[in-house]
Amino acid sequence: MNEYDVIIIGAGNGGLASAATLAELGKRVLVFEKHNIPGGCGTSFRRGRFEFEVALHQLSSMGTPEKPGPLREQFRRYGIESEIEWIEIKELFRVNFPDGTGVSIPADRTACEAYLIEQFPAEKDAILRYFEAVYAFADESVKFAEASAKSTGEPGALKKAMMKLLFPKMYPTLARYGLLSTQAVLDEFFSTPKLQLALSAYWCFMGMPPERFPWSILAKCTNIYMEDKPFYLRGTSMMMNQAIMESIRRNGGEVRLNLGVKKLLLENGKAVGVVDDNGVEYRAKKIISNISPLATYGALLEPEEVPAAAREYLKPYTVGISAITCFIGLDCPPEEIGFTTSFTLNYESLDANKDFQDAYKLLPEHDPLVATCYTVDDPAVSPKGTSIITAGTLKYGTEWEKLTPEQYYETKYEAGRRIVARLEAMYPGFTSHIEEMEVATPLTHMRYLNHPGGAIYGYEQDLLNSVFFFPSESKIPNLEFASGWVNACGFGPNYLFADKLAKRIAREV
Amino acid sequence: MGKTLKDTLLGTLQNGEEVLEDIRVLRKVSLDKITEGNKADARIAPLHAKSLGLIVSAIADTGKNAKIFRLSSAEGYLPPFEAGQYLNLFTEIYGVRTSRPYSISSSPRQRGYYEITVARSACGFVSDYLLDEVKVGDTFSANGPAGVFRYQPVFHSKKSLFLAGGSGITPFLSMTREVLEAHLDRDIVLLYGCRNEQVALYQEELSAYADEFPNFRYHLVISDNVAGWTGETGFLDKAHIARLAPDYTARTCYICGPQVMNEFCQRELETLGVPEKRIRRELFGACKNIEKEAGWPVDLTGEEIFHVTVGERTIEARANEPILVALERAGIRVNVCCRSGECSLCRVKLISGKVFLSKGMLLRKADEAYGYIHSCKAYPIGDSSILL
Repeated sequence: MNEYDVIIIGAGNGGLASAATLAELGKRVLVFEKHNIPGGCGTSFRRGRFEFEVALHQLSSMGTPEKPGPLREQFRRYGIESEIEWIEIKELFRVNFPDGTGVSIPADRTACEAYLIEQFPAEKDAILRYFEAVYAFADESVKFAEASAKSTGEPGALKKAMMKLLFPKMYPTLARYGLLSTQAVLDEFFSTPKLQLALSAYWCFMGMPPERFPWSILAKCTNIYMEDKPFYLRGTSMMMNQAIMESIRRNGGEVRLNLGVKKLLLENGKAVGVVDDNGVEYRAKKIISNISPLATYGALLEPEEVPAAAREYLKPYTVGISAITCFIGLDCPPEEIGFTTSFTLNYESLDANKDFQDAYKLLPEHDPLVATCYTVDDPAVSPKGTSIITAGTLKYGTEWEKLTPEQYYETKYEAGRRIVARLEAMYPGFTSHIEEMEVATPLTHMRYLNHPGGAIYGYEQDLLNSVFFFPSESKIPNLEFASGWVNACGFGPNYLFADKLAKRIAREV
Repeated sequence: MGKTLKDTLLGTLQNGEEVLEDIRVLRKVSLDKITEGNKADARIAPLHAKSLGLIVSAIADTGKNAKIFRLSSAEGYLPPFEAGQYLNLFTEIYGVRTSRPYSISSSPRQRGYYEITVARSACGFVSDYLLDEVKVGDTFSANGPAGVFRYQPVFHSKKSLFLAGGSGITPFLSMTREVLEAHLDRDIVLLYGCRNEQVALYQEELSAYADEFPNFRYHLVISDNVAGWTGETGFLDKAHIARLAPDYTARTCYICGPQVMNEFCQRELETLGVPEKRIRRELFGACKNIEKEAGWPVDLTGEEIFHVTVGERTIEARANEPILVALERAGIRVNVCCRSGECSLCRVKLISGKVFLSKGMLLRKADEAYGYIHSCKAYPIGDSSILL
């Protein structure tokens, strides 16, 4: 009775998408989710007249209905594309500088090049060369990934030597920039700090400052968002994840909400099933964990069951950053306070790397401030005449974990007060329009995600932990991972990763 | 052993050897992190316990037909809370496991105990039990403290107007005690509507506070015709507000009381021109007399019994009782906290059939699109089928 092809632990983005693909392919799947709603990070909550988005800023890889991107195609297969109202975002982002000026980047390569040349005429040639490099990089990455997918096993020493010689010739942009930081690449191209900041804004989507942010992620982000356009949707990311959950059920899959897994069952070192929080046992040919590898090994197994190889494998990986976020409902439309681009990154100085150092401190200080106003691209996301803004800074959980329980609420509101003061300075009158407001701290993220440090992107998305080094390998046969801890974090990348994983597993079960 | 192909190729990248070396060093110097992986729960527990074990440490009378319960921790530790928040107290009565939310009335500045006040309600299954059966030493489990009916210092005015009705005084008691006992720089006007002085809770304490603290003004507003009463009379309305708190436009207004009073006061404030952002409301518990709510089907008295199918079981459910209660009567465990339509923990999917959704249910757009409801404020008005 309790036997399945695949059991999925956690209904986050990766868990839902892998289950949906497996169910679509006719596999018997069971998803456990300990919360009362699906979605993991991709969730929302209600306060007063507002429904607040918690995680999604811009959905990538959607493309337009006429020129669909891979994610839109995946959602078509799930039967959910037409159930959701997708909203195309016209500008990638706006970067606001401390002197009151700013740049708004169009979601189109040609328009963007023209706009930047107009803003920074002295850098014209560099701008054009830079976009050439971004696109060449994206192109080579795809080709390399396709070639790698075809090869199997370790080649012999001779072949290895050949490939070593050939690689830089076949993939010159990849070889040159693939392991450089964003700052290193931008320094190579540009000498104007404002232009560098205008091009690097997506660093904050992954929580690493330019000097630690892999340029390869930035290049792919820029390329994908320009080609497939950034999207939002009506009803928050919760709508998308609920839709995926319904698709799983339509295809015969089961999703159990309000029910967690407390044990991963091993036999002869292989994963064979799970035990739910009520002590009921289930068996499956494969288990997909959508929770962190740390919690999978650390909380679902006895210490002596954890393979030494897993401990060794995960050693160099560093738990990543968390955030402080204010969810704000205003009783006025965005233009009334001067909000014109949905996604803005706001700097206190022109040195993003230095300002980012404040992320290690308890409270927001000079931290770059990310502010998103969902109402700009779709007035219908909140009641008529209101707007929704989420604003916050990246923050490590370390200092928050040192607070005593008595200090917590006071500190949380002080953090909120500082963020609102920054917004007030940029948008005078802002505070007087606040109708609802909640503050989420690294401890809030820790509470709801059960992630160490309140990490919101899994491991640090830096050169050492990400891109070529994601810890996606499982050290237990028949156990697989599908969360943002083991691949490029973010909605689009995670759905696509889980889809690919599920297709492979479908061939094996 | 030679390098893997991956490392070989990465080594050809600019900065490749440096990155690979950094990772090798990290691997050498880093500690095992797997044991750390399951500590998040333990770190959060002092702030938000998954479940609280409580023990009744004292019981006292207050007003007519109400009691104060002091609840200490069975484990020796109570998490902090914000004045105005509630506990959801679980009880098992005649074999039925259910729960009720109670605002904490004690000050958050002391956590030796949480104090709650229970007033008898007309057909109060749980309040009767708490008032008549529970004694010192009894134990309960609870979740919370939870809720967002509280002073939010970032955007609320330092001047507050509290509008309380009946047992809705309890969260205000916590807020008042905190402000006055800790000498916070805030100012409170409390208007408390009750039928008569006998049923007013904490009357003595509140009057004493008003005598002692200039930043606290308190008026009991009596709706019964009581001979000899010289204080405020009538239903708490805009005239009281305008006269007793003339600077109401400079205040953030908070309303807590029975649904009828709650909605009435909101309308009165709106009539006075108080904008929505200055009005905070606490709705606790399911609505009494749901059949009187606008939109209730005219052909139903509320006493009808319908069938609700839950998986392989079919249970009976009375029209004027929330589906959550029917589930609890049938012994079906449902996650629950606020029982007021807001927190969404008791969310279920309505597969077929009709339900009446009471006002104030904070559904997400995805819930509306895919048929999810909050069972604590959803009433069966026909046979239905739900999915937990």
